Amino acid sequence: MAQVAVRNVVKKYGSLQVIHGVNIDIADGEFVVLVGPSGCGKSTLLRMIAGLERISGGEVDIGGRVVNDVLPKDRDIAMVFQNYALYPHKTVAENMGFPLKLKGRPKDEIAAKVKKAAEILALEKLLDRYPKQLSGGQRQRVAMGRAIVRDPQVFLFDEPLSNLDAKLRVTMRVEIKELHQRLKTTTVYVTHDQIEAMTMADKIVVMRDGHVEQIGAPLDLYDRPANTFVAGFIGSPAMNFVLGRLEGRDGETVFVSDHGTVLPVPAGTAPRPEPVVYGIRPEHIDVRPGGIAATISVLEPTGSETQIFARIGEDPLNAAVRDRVASRPGETIPLSIDSQRVHLFDRQSGKRI
Amino acid sequence: MRSNTVGWLMLAPTIAILAVFGIAPFIYVLYVAFHHWNPFGADPLMTYNGANNFRRLVFDREFLLSIAVTIKFAFFAVVSEIILGYLLAQLFMREFPGRGLFRTVHTLPLIVAPIVVGSVWRLMTTPSIGIIPYLLKTWFGYDLNIGRDAGAAFLLTVIMDIWHWTPLVTLTLLAALLSLPKEPFEQAQIDGANRWQIFWHITLPMIRPAILATVFIRLMDALRTVDEVWMLTSGGPGAATRYVGLHIWKIVFPKTDYGYGAAISVIVLYLTLVMCWLLYVALVAPRQKKEAE
Repeated sequence: MAQVAVRNVVKKYGSLQVIHGVNIDIADGEFVVLVGPSGCGKSTLLRMIAGLERISGGEVDIGGRVVNDVLPKDRDIAMVFQNYALYPHKTVAENMGFPLKLKGRPKDEIAAKVKKAAEILALEKLLDRYPKQLSGGQRQRVAMGRAIVRDPQVFLFDEPLSNLDAKLRVTMRVEIKELHQRLKTTTVYVTHDQIEAMTMADKIVVMRDGHVEQIGAPLDLYDRPANTFVAGFIGSPAMNFVLGRLEGRDGETVFVSDHGTVLPVPAGTAPRPEPVVYGIRPEHIDVRPGGIAATISVLEPTGSETQIFARIGEDPLNAAVRDRVASRPGETIPLSIDSQRVHLFDRQSGKRI
Repeated sequence: MRSNTVGWLMLAPTIAILAVFGIAPFIYVLYVAFHHWNPFGADPLMTYNGANNFRRLVFDREFLLSIAVTIKFAFFAVVSEIILGYLLAQLFMREFPGRGLFRTVHTLPLIVAPIVVGSVWRLMTTPSIGIIPYLLKTWFGYDLNIGRDAGAAFLLTVIMDIWHWTPLVTLTLLAALLSLPKEPFEQAQIDGANRWQIFWHITLPMIRPAILATVFIRLMDALRTVDEVWMLTSGGPGAATRYVGLHIWKIVFPKTDYGYGAAISVIVLYLTLVMCWLLYVALVAPRQKKEAE
């Protein structure tokens, strides 16, 4: 187990710079998720921590040792790849025992460790199989088993669940989290799926275009996103954004959209001359008598909740409500916004006000 | 069973060609092998003589010697070609200036006809006019004369075969290497493998099928080498490079002993099959059995 520190790390391919001075501190035993859209540099950053990509600038520190020039094999890390990277010509047991075999450990010790890891992951019956005889979820577990057997300082996961179907993904998500709670090994996990990030992480690092947008606990990011990108990326369904201004009316501040819709803001908000972005999550909008009249465009009932795609005047607004909605598309519905949970951002910079 | 009929019709041209050019000649050779037939000999008629041809070749010292040198030749040539071909394939996996040009030039020997390869090598090695004896003489003071030195002649036929056929091995292994997924290699680096361990535990097992296929192809080819060696040494000096293909040629053409030549051909085919089968049993089958369990 170890702390990991990423300091001012830069990655360049020739003249193309893909990571622009990233700083992340990872505490011992912490589960950190790097999340962001495709091409944001999260996998590249993980591969630099693993030693599979050269670091063009800055430092990566694992357990108090700068590892920039240390080979992957000497970094004492284990990695789980998206397509599992199992050795096709080795059995499950040989796959899992390979790192120990390379270290020249005695056979009975390897067998004991493989057996223990196989018990943790319910792989005992598969130890003599070859990877091609396994299902996707089983392969994923073997890849994790190989990581566990090493007992490394850090686990690295590179989108490990992307190749699994939706149901299995949820199961494996829980398994990985349980595993971490049990082993308490420092973990860096890359995903593009914000739900994985929210559910698994102790700390989330949101990345975009090679920059870190925000670092924080999952609920902090949800409650206080630092900018419009994080606000839109974290949370499902995604936050509503309305462009407009904060104006004073009768001694109170209100938000007036560019199309003239008036929406409530948190108490104590001051008017400001610069244009703003008004953000409200769909789940913080309710259907309640006395709300703002909105026209329903589309309804998506999922059973547990109903998503309402509606319009207030020209401005589209989505709501997600727990109750079933009896109205039909085209009808008018009163939407009530929880003004304490409104997020306001500067329109120019996108930063939270 | 309409689909079946269509299937046979589709296969018909291939089957016809195979029957005319493959199966029929083979059956004819088999037929001739059981006859005494030397149209220019004392008894020109084709007469059935049972297994006498086969009986004769068991006691034929020249034939047994030719089998021995052929196996020696095939072993040295194929082993060197596989090792050299693998190293070249690894070289072509890397970026270096002039790689494309080098790769193209390196495959040129493949498109040269064996008879031409033999002629060129003969020109290069003929004492007093060839460049190779000249350079060996000026640089090392060594007198190369493949007309007299049996060891040198044997070595040269091996080197010529390596020169001619290594590019084939390189291309096959390069294709195999290029088709390998990247992740197991990265995983192996993280798992703590050094370069030698990655080669031994990951690369080699993963390109094993390609290596085996290449070994089979090259082995079969090497066992039936004729034209190149015929041009270079004509099987000499003495019988030092008289490989079994040359031996058959000598019996069938200058000596016109068709029956005996056919019998040797059948036996050589049989030996080739046995060798490939042994290789298969030793290298491929145990592994498949293990995987099937």
